[in-house]
Amino acid sequence: MLKTKNVAYWYDKKEHKLFDNVNLEFKEGKLYAIIGSSGSGKTTFLSLLGGLDKPRAGTIEFQGVPLSKIGLTNYRNHDVSMVFQSYNLFPYMSALENILTAMAITKAEHVHDKDYVFEVLEKIGINKEMAKKKVGRLSGGQQQRVAIARTMCCDAKLVVADEPTGNLDEQNTFEVLDLFKAVAHEQNKCVIIVTHESMVAQRCDQQIELKNNEFLIK
Amino acid sequence: MNFFYRAFLNVKGKKGRTILLILVLSAILLFVLAGIIIQNAATTAVNNAKKSSGATVTLSANRSNAFKKLRQQKSKNPTLSLASVSVKTAKKIGNSDYVKAYNITNSTSVNAKSFDAIKTSSSSQSNQMSGPGGKSSSSSSSQGDISLSGVTSTSQVSSFTSGTSKIKSGRGINASDAGTNNVVIETELAKQNSISVGDTITVKDTDKNIHKFKVVGIYKSSSTSSQTGGMGQTDPSNTIYSSYALVNSIKGTTSAESVTYTISNPSKAAAFITAAKKSINTSKLSLTKDDSTYRSLLTPLNNVKSFAQKIVILVSVAGTIILTLIVVLMIRERRYEIGVLLSLGEKRWKVIAQFFAEMVMIMVVSIAVAGAGGKFVGDAVGKQLVNQTTTTTSTTTNTTTGNSQNGQPGGGGAQMANNGGGGQQQSTQASSQQLQKLSTSISVVSLVQLGAFGLAIILLAILIGSIGILRLQPKKILIS
Ligand SMILES: Nc1ncnc2c1ncn2[C@@H]1O[C@H](COP(=O)(O)OP(=O)(O)O)[C@@H](O)[C@H]1O
Ligand SMILES: [Mg+2]
Repeated sequence: MLKTKNVAYWYDKKEHKLFDNVNLEFKEGKLYAIIGSSGSGKTTFLSLLGGLDKPRAGTIEFQGVPLSKIGLTNYRNHDVSMVFQSYNLFPYMSALENILTAMAITKAEHVHDKDYVFEVLEKIGINKEMAKKKVGRLSGGQQQRVAIARTMCCDAKLVVADEPTGNLDEQNTFEVLDLFKAVAHEQNKCVIIVTHESMVAQRCDQQIELKNNEFLIK
Repeated sequence: MNFFYRAFLNVKGKKGRTILLILVLSAILLFVLAGIIIQNAATTAVNNAKKSSGATVTLSANRSNAFKKLRQQKSKNPTLSLASVSVKTAKKIGNSDYVKAYNITNSTSVNAKSFDAIKTSSSSQSNQMSGPGGKSSSSSSSQGDISLSGVTSTSQVSSFTSGTSKIKSGRGINASDAGTNNVVIETELAKQNSISVGDTITVKDTDKNIHKFKVVGIYKSSSTSSQTGGMGQTDPSNTIYSSYALVNSIKGTTSAESVTYTISNPSKAAAFITAAKKSINTSKLSLTKDDSTYRSLLTPLNNVKSFAQKIVILVSVAGTIILTLIVVLMIRERRYEIGVLLSLGEKRWKVIAQFFAEMVMIMVVSIAVAGAGGKFVGDAVGKQLVNQTTTTTSTTTNTTTGNSQNGQPGGGGAQMANNGGGGQQQSTQASSQQLQKLSTSISVVSLVQLGAFGLAIILLAILIGSIGILRLQPKKILIS
């Protein structure tokens, strides 16, 4: 569903390429892990997949259509959903309001359906009472689960996450990973996680390592 | 309208920040409102000044032309012949729409017969000295001791409108007195001769004819003899008011010396003159505009107005700068939130619209706060300005009074001189009262104006502050 074709990226100098000639394919119903050491360019690569930036060379195709043709804003709105290391929820809203807002912006199928959102939150361990509190009052693990619930409630077929477990303890890490697995396997979405922890990567369906400016499928 | 809901949640959710913004915006709007209130008050006062200060146009002999003719005369003893205004023409011009009221004036002097005039030694001396300068338009060669002043109505005589003269008992002369021998005499003259309302008095004119006058009213004049002494008058108490028709019948004419038209809208005085000139022989008669009252009022009021305008502009600019800085800081602080919105594919203009909506919500509350507080600030600043204005105006008044006295064409004497001064002081007081009264009230219009200013300030602040949003790369949310 997502293909990179000869993708290259560099920041200031063309000679200092972070990666070059990247040809990867991501399929729906699968959980991918992109692993690599800090500073290797994982986040940069993910920003390309998430439509936050354009590759310097090559193209990225979503369901066979180049992102440049879909339009990045449009692509972000319809096709991809993002989860961040620092959760990035709207701090002045409750969990419920956060998800409803995202659903409204992305015009999700269940837009304005509170019961649906409560149901999804319930499944990931956030009860109605917690769902109505400002997200700032929730723990880190809870906030990240709300962020995942947000992607679950939106209709985007592709989910990208940058170090989603980076701020979590071991138990929360595993719980969150299980949620991502559920998103991939039960919702039949394509989930791509960036991490520097091999413990996290090992639990994914497929590991791709970024090392010495090259992607290696393990 | 999704952004509107987000704005609402944000304003509701971040109470501390919301209260802080309300305080800042209230303070800015408070000053803007004070400026608007004063500006509106000044505008209204200017309009009132236009209405109340009433410019006058005087129709009288064209003196400069008369003097020109005098110089052209070849005879050995040239005489100055001054035209008079026929009552018919006076009335015809008076029917113009520009005219609020008019006063036909005429005067002559007679000698007291059944009573004694008030004698002033100094005034009789100066009378002889400055005789020719005085009642130049009077045809009589020998002056009587009583000055008979014919008018349409005393209520239109400037010394009465200004309050220098007041009816003490009985009534004043009015238009219906034309054709009667009703007169109004001064209280000192009445006291000295034990005359009361209803009595009949007799005078002797310069042709030695006896005239009977019926006293219908007694007035008190607070004008001092020093004020009028120089004008070649006898004591002011010797002035008797009658209908202009009575003066005409004594003099045996059908015309008046001068007619004073009160113009309803002072700014239309020139237009009135142009129109009225068609009805008169301009080589013999002239129309003189006196809107100095209006002008002298206008200057200080316009000063207040422009001062208020400057306040509004200054506060608006300062407010915009302050608010822009706040918005810039706010947007920096909310970079992540903006990033999430952008990552969700929200359009940038909708993100900006959300901030704008938040500010508008805050502004609505701030306008209420400013409206409540604006009354006090407006009061305080308004009073200060009124005090200043009144001082400035009375200074101007004195100057103009002096000028109008010097520049007065011909005779009218004390009466004409009072015209400028008295009327002016009165309307100045009236309009500063207006200003005082008006500055204390906040109209819906002021609040709407305030809202417009507030919106403009917010719009500018958000637009400038949002340059950051437009330039923000959504990728920044991942890498930091
Ligand atoms: N905006 C930028 N401008 C220049 N260099 C950057 C920028 N962002 C990241 N880099 C550099 O690119 C490299 C890859 O960064 P990043 O993609 O964040 O790596 P990772 O997520 O694997 O830690 C790093 O060396 C980083 O310093
Ligand atoms: Mg990274």
